This record gives sequence, C-alpha cells and structure tokens, in this order.
Amino acid sequence: MKKLLSILLMGCCIPVFAQTKADDIKSFTLNNGMKFLVAEDNSIPNANMYLFYKVGSRNEHPGITGLSHFFEHMMFNGAKKYGPKMFDQSMEFNGGANNAYTTQNVTVYTDWFPVNAMETIFDLESDRIASLNIDPKMVESERGVVLSERSTGLENSPWNMLSDALNASAFQEHPYHWTVIGYETDIKNWTKEDLEKYFRTYYAPNNCVVVISGNVKVDEVKRMAEKYMAPIPANSPPKPVHLVEPPQTGERRVTIQKEVPSPYLMIGYHTPEATNKDYYSLSILNAVLSSGNSSRLYSELVDKKQLANMVGSDFNESFDPNLFNIYAIAAKGVKEVDIESAIYAEIDKIKKDGITENELQKIKNQKLIEFYAQIETINGKSNNIGTYELFFGDYRKMFDAPAEYSKVSIEDVKRVASQYFNKSNRTVGILKSKVEE
Amino acid sequence: MKKLVRNISAVLIALVLFSPAIAQKIPLAFKVPVYEKFTLPNGLTVYLMEQHEVPLISVSAIVPAGAIYDAEKSGLASLTAAGLQYGTKSYSKIKIEEDLDFIGADLNTYASKESATITSKFAAKDAEKVLPILKEVLVDPVFDKDEFEKERKRVLSNLEQAKLSPRNVINAYWDKFIYGSHVYANPVNGSPATVGKFSVDDLKTFYKNNYGPQGSAIAIVGDFNTKVMKARIISLFGAWKRTGLPQSNLAAQAVSVPQTARVLLVNKEDARETTFLIGGMGIRRDNPDFVAIEVVNTVFGGRFTSWLNDELRVNSGLTYGARSSFSPLKNSGTFSISTFTAVKTTLPTVEKTLHVLDSLHATGFNEKTLASAKNYVKGQFPPRYETAGQLAGLLTQMFWYGFNESFINNFQSNVDGLTLARSKEIITKYFPKDKLQFLLIGKSEDIKGIAAKYGPVTEKDIKADGF
Repeated sequence: MKKLLSILLMGCCIPVFAQTKADDIKSFTLNNGMKFLVAEDNSIPNANMYLFYKVGSRNEHPGITGLSHFFEHMMFNGAKKYGPKMFDQSMEFNGGANNAYTTQNVTVYTDWFPVNAMETIFDLESDRIASLNIDPKMVESERGVVLSERSTGLENSPWNMLSDALNASAFQEHPYHWTVIGYETDIKNWTKEDLEKYFRTYYAPNNCVVVISGNVKVDEVKRMAEKYMAPIPANSPPKPVHLVEPPQTGERRVTIQKEVPSPYLMIGYHTPEATNKDYYSLSILNAVLSSGNSSRLYSELVDKKQLANMVGSDFNESFDPNLFNIYAIAAKGVKEVDIESAIYAEIDKIKKDGITENELQKIKNQKLIEFYAQIETINGKSNNIGTYELFFGDYRKMFDAPAEYSKVSIEDVKRVASQYFNKSNRTVGILKSKVEE
Repeated sequence: MKKLVRNISAVLIALVLFSPAIAQKIPLAFKVPVYEKFTLPNGLTVYLMEQHEVPLISVSAIVPAGAIYDAEKSGLASLTAAGLQYGTKSYSKIKIEEDLDFIGADLNTYASKESATITSKFAAKDAEKVLPILKEVLVDPVFDKDEFEKERKRVLSNLEQAKLSPRNVINAYWDKFIYGSHVYANPVNGSPATVGKFSVDDLKTFYKNNYGPQGSAIAIVGDFNTKVMKARIISLFGAWKRTGLPQSNLAAQAVSVPQTARVLLVNKEDARETTFLIGGMGIRRDNPDFVAIEVVNTVFGGRFTSWLNDELRVNSGLTYGARSSFSPLKNSGTFSISTFTAVKTTLPTVEKTLHVLDSLHATGFNEKTLASAKNYVKGQFPPRYETAGQLAGLLTQMFWYGFNESFINNFQSNVDGLTLARSKEIITKYFPKDKLQFLLIGKSEDIKGIAAKYGPVTEKDIKADGF
C-alpha cells in the first residue's frame, strides 16, 4: 500500500495505482443480485460487515415521512429465526456490536465483530432480510424511541431546526424537502401495512451492496454468502425517484425563533449529484472555504473580522442534486446580516479572482492525507468502499479520487463558484431570539 | 439533520474507558506492538512505536497541566492549552496554521481535568516540517496578546452556547455536584465570570508553573525509523527545562463522599425533555478490578442489550438510549447512569432506572449473561487500538495512569478469569445502591415535585454562571 501511494505522490501512474487497488478489493455478485466487496486486512483479529441499502428519505412521500429511518429501527426487532431482541443478543453474545444509520439517500447497517463470529453475522443478517417479522407491539414501542430521538436532536442542537427549515424551503417538489426523521404526526400514524410494503419494495438482495473488511478470506466470505444470502429471492427493482426539483429562480429566506445567545445562519446553494463532472471542483471549493484555520471563511470571518464565533461549510455526495451549505454562529453583538454580507464578499472574491495555486495545492495535499486516514481502519475502508460504490457507481473511484482531485484546475474552481453561488440559487436560514425586529 | 444513527451512545461514548476486546474462540490474541521507551535527562518520557501500514505519523504528548491546577481561575488550563498555538518563538499563529494546513497536518492542543494533551497527525514525509513546530508549540509558546483576546471572546460565546444543550454541560454539573470542593470539581472550560477576567499574563504564569519535561511524556507512532526518530527527539526536546514553581499534588486530597441522597435540579425553561444522571462515587483508574468492573458494567449499562437500555428503550420506548459508565481519574472517580426522556415521562423513567439498579443488586447475573459480556468485551477490544493515533493515545495513557502493556496483553485472560461469584462481589462493592445522587436538567416547574421524591433538592438555573 505504502509503495503505491508514494507513486501517486509523485503525480504519475494513476492507472497502475487504480488497477492494483482493484486487485486488493475482491468483488462478486450472487445470482439474486446481491453484490459483495471484500477487503482483506489482517491488522487486527476483527472484521466488519456494512450493508448498504439503496433506500432513504428520498424514497418516501408525505404520510410516510421518516419511514426509512423507522424501518432501520424495525430491522432489529425480530425475524423468523431470531425473534424480538435476539438479533442484538446473539450478536453481542458472539462478541459483535452493531449500529445503523439512515440518510436522505441510503440506509446502512454496520456490524463489527471478532472474525470467528462471521458466520453468526451472516445468519443474523440473512434472517432479517429474508423474513423480517413486523410485530405490532414492537412497532408501538419503537414509535416512542424514535419520538425521543427526534426530540433529543431538537433539544440539544439549534442546527437541526435551522437545517430542517432550510431544506423545506430549498426543496419544494423533491423529497429532500422533508427531514430524515420525518414529521412527528407521520411517526405517530404510519401503519404495519406501510412497513410491510416498504420492506417488500426496498429490502431485496438486489437493492443491497455488502462490504466486508478485516481479517477474512474472500473464499470464506463467498462460501457464507452462497449459503446464507443466495437463497433469498431477488425482487423487481424499486421504482426510481422521479421527482426533480425545478430550478430556483429567486432567493428564499426563512427565519426561526429560538432563544439563543447570538444568531445562527445557514445558506444553501443548489448543487449537483455525486456523479456530476463538477463534483470534485465543488469539493475543493468547499475545502478552500472552510478546511482549517487558514481557510478563507475562518481566517476572514472568525480570525480577522471577528464577526463569527464559528463558520463552516459542507458539500457531500448525494444521489440527486442537493445543497452546498455554508453556516456560521454570530459573535456576540454581531448582526447576522453582517456575517451574511461578509460570506458573500468572500464568495465574490473567488468568483472574480479564483483561488491561488498555493490554495489548490494545499487542498490536494489535504485530500491525500484524508484518503490515508480513511483506509487506516477497517471501518473507514468499508464505509468508503460502499459510499463510492453507491454514490459514484464504482468502488474503484475511491482509489481514483486523489487523481480526480489533482486534475482540478484553478479555473475549474472559479467556474463552479460562478455557476452555483448565485443569489437566485440560494436559500438563507436564520435562527435567532428576536424575530420581530 | 441529514444522518440519523440507531444508537447514538455508541458514537458519543468513544471517550469513555469502558468499552470492549477478542473472543474466546480466537486463537490470535491482540498484543501491544513493539515499542521503545526512554527518558531524557530532563525527565521527559518518550515512546516510539513503528507502524508502517499507511505513510502517516501520529504524535500524542501529555503534560500535567489540567483544570485541577486552575485554582480560582476556572478555565485557565483550557485557555492555556489552546494558547500554545497562538505563536511561538519562531512561528506566528498564522504561519503555524498555514504551514500545517498546506501539508494536511493536524494539530490539537487541549486541556482535560488532570492533564493537557497535544496531538498531531501528518504524512511521514513531512516529519521534518512538523516536528520543529510541535517542539516550539510545547516548549516555546509566546501567548500573543491579540490572539488571546480574540480567543477569549470566542470562548465566552461558546460557554453560553454550550448551555443550550443539556448533553454538553451535564457532566460539568455532575462533577461539581459530586466532587464539591475537591479540584476534580473544576469545570474544564470555566465560566464567563472567570474567563472574562483573565489576562494573557495568567496564561503565561500557568504555562510557567505547569508545563515542563518532568512528569510529561510524548509518544510517536507511525511510519518512521526508530533510530533516526530517537536522535531527532533528543535533539528537539533535550534542552527543554521547567522554569516555574514545583506543582503541588492537589488531586491527592481526599474527596468528601456524599453521605446522603441528594438532588440537583437545573432549570431549563424551554426544555422539551428531562436529561438526567443518577449515581455516585466510582473508581480510580488504577483499581485492580478495573477489567472486571468493565465486564459487569457491560451487562448493566455498557452495550445495546444492557439491562438499562433494554428496559428503558427496548421494552418501554421511554428514551432513545440509556447507559451507565464509570469515569475514572488518577485519584478518584464517579459512576453514573444517564438517559433522557420527554418531560411528561420523567417519573416513570426515573422509577424504571432505579428498578433496574435494584435488580442488579437483587438478582445479579447468570452464567449465560456473564459469558455474553465477556465475549462482547473481548470482541470489541482490538478496534480500540487499530490506528497510530489510538496507539499513541494508549502509550500516553499508560504513562499517565501508571499501567503497562500487560493491561492489553492480559486483557483477555483477565476477562476470562471473572467468575460469577466475583461478579456478585463487584456489584456489591462498586455499584451504588443507596445514598444515590440525582442530577436532572429540565423544566423545573414540571418536574420539581418528582425531584423532591428522591432527596433534598438544590435548584439552579442553566442560565446562571458556572455549574
């Protein structure tokens, strides 16, 4: 590994690098369409299994908002062989632990275990995919858990309220309009039938990519995959999400009242999906704005002008066009309008003058270190392999990423800033105490 | 919020010492990789461990300069640690940031209760650029006045913002409530009333009195050659000298243990839920039963199927998560059960929590439960020491708490050695049963009557200064 990366550092031989990495990760697909990606790594006597299902809140509609996430919870509440509670009990008895997460795009189940427990993990995962049992009693109790999850998110961070409102305004037709956790009234009202339909539609082996990293042998993984997963029948592919957000034609603004010491600000610009050609340029623009204290927004707004107490930005991979967000908390006594203008001033500088050669090189260097850090752990490997496979269409693109970043030019970054950071393409959210002023 | 996690505790608990290690059937036991340890003539302890999986180097340094030395200047250790980065003899703050950002290196300097920590991670090829900066940050900081004034304003705002989230501040209230007048009560981040009065000279004095090679350690783990690195570290840190007064061991003073049940109720006017801790005194990090206690706590509140989470989340849907943990320090420690619930379900949630604690004492474990906990703890252990950064952290923890690699290397056998009879003794000895301490953050008006059921109530308002 080290040797290959050194070659990359010298800025050549990308195809050799990518090709060799493709050899490190073994891929096979079962007859039912379930795809496996396996990274052998014997650094610790452990392994993991990440199951990526192509379903998230973008697959919902009003009436069942939040169902993807709720379903993620229900997947732990009993199937045919392993009844209620037995999934977790069996996994933990065998030394394993798990978690799961739901986003707008995907639902991911993560198991971490000593490698000798792998067969148990296959047994558990295949049981719930093949024959989940949706017990009405468990549905009721789980509603309480999810309502508590929703409430504790709102209790502990003003950002939840603000970003929820921002998304609701920026997306008026596309399902990114609602939150991943869903509307409180939907959480209280969806039915067992809704859950069953969701399970049939999305929890099929052909809608899932499984990534395994750790001290495993690919032949052993294949044997278990054939034994436990191959018998599960494929399903007809879910209907694609056809909703497309119409172009935004004017700035939108939302205001939220909450008692806070100083205002919170968030600005979202519509930007394209992960497979768009502008992805890497936008990702570099994101880092130029907010990665490290030498970044443009931190050094201007927090350090030099002291307008903001913190500032950040994010731009993440997404199936459908989503938002590039810039956010800040006002310094004491500073009005949000002053921060907002200062952010636009920084954006305008990039639109007019671009970024420097030094900045571009800095971000490329940072991206390479990020890449090393991602592959330093077996969990980082699985999460990234799966993310690239789903969002970029091919896990190999994970290893191409450093090369993709090194192709981006100063002109590219200037161009995407000019193309996407426009007034009519943005939604501005402000959360503060005094909203009547 | 775009990403929701099934079990948030699993994500947030990373810092708690109690988590997992290697299953019984596994032939391959996890061992600490080979490392070299030596002490410089000035007293600085150095650990070097080669790891060549990725071309990165991680550094972790620990200095006896935590919040326990704040005295009345609450928050000073934290600001001093942050201040290490405000420029040094040869590098301005901007220069440090630009140089490190350019090569994708990170640098963190922060204080915790007992110590200050400096961590850094960078590409192996950049060692010659980063190490001289790290050396100056640790040995030659200048504490620039303008940078300090800017940081202080940010800290004051952060302190106010932190109080918007019960989860962010509940442990500071807890430590103050349990430790009382002992220095372990000192809140690491301080409060507006104290931080507002600091001058940059306070930082300089704190640095002079508490930073030095004696009592400190630096661990370097990653892709380097030990012989070359050793020579480099000797040349960089060999001349470091402490200049201030000798430290007095304030933390060694006895903690006065609460003798009766007590309740602290912190009013948060806009609360939609009640966040609470129940517990009392815990253990020191050098407790010989440390591993056994971890196994027992796993069953009670340390994993998803733990009794607490099972009863409060899975069976009753009262909360998104419930857990218990020990927070051990060098000279003392606390134990707490933590959860949260909607305001209107506060009473049943507290009651059920107490019921689960009672059943721990009344029924104890059976063989199957104990076997499950052992497997779990062993199975989840190796990923805790997978990266160079984790291993560097382990080495400085070994230095700080005085344990050695036998903790890791014998972990499996220590876990396996726990018998059912011994687990019963561990429960009786270390898990509180009565004189419980309660801390509730929520809407006082609605939960005051509930709070009063459990002991004499002290009330505070979350907006009031400090904890």
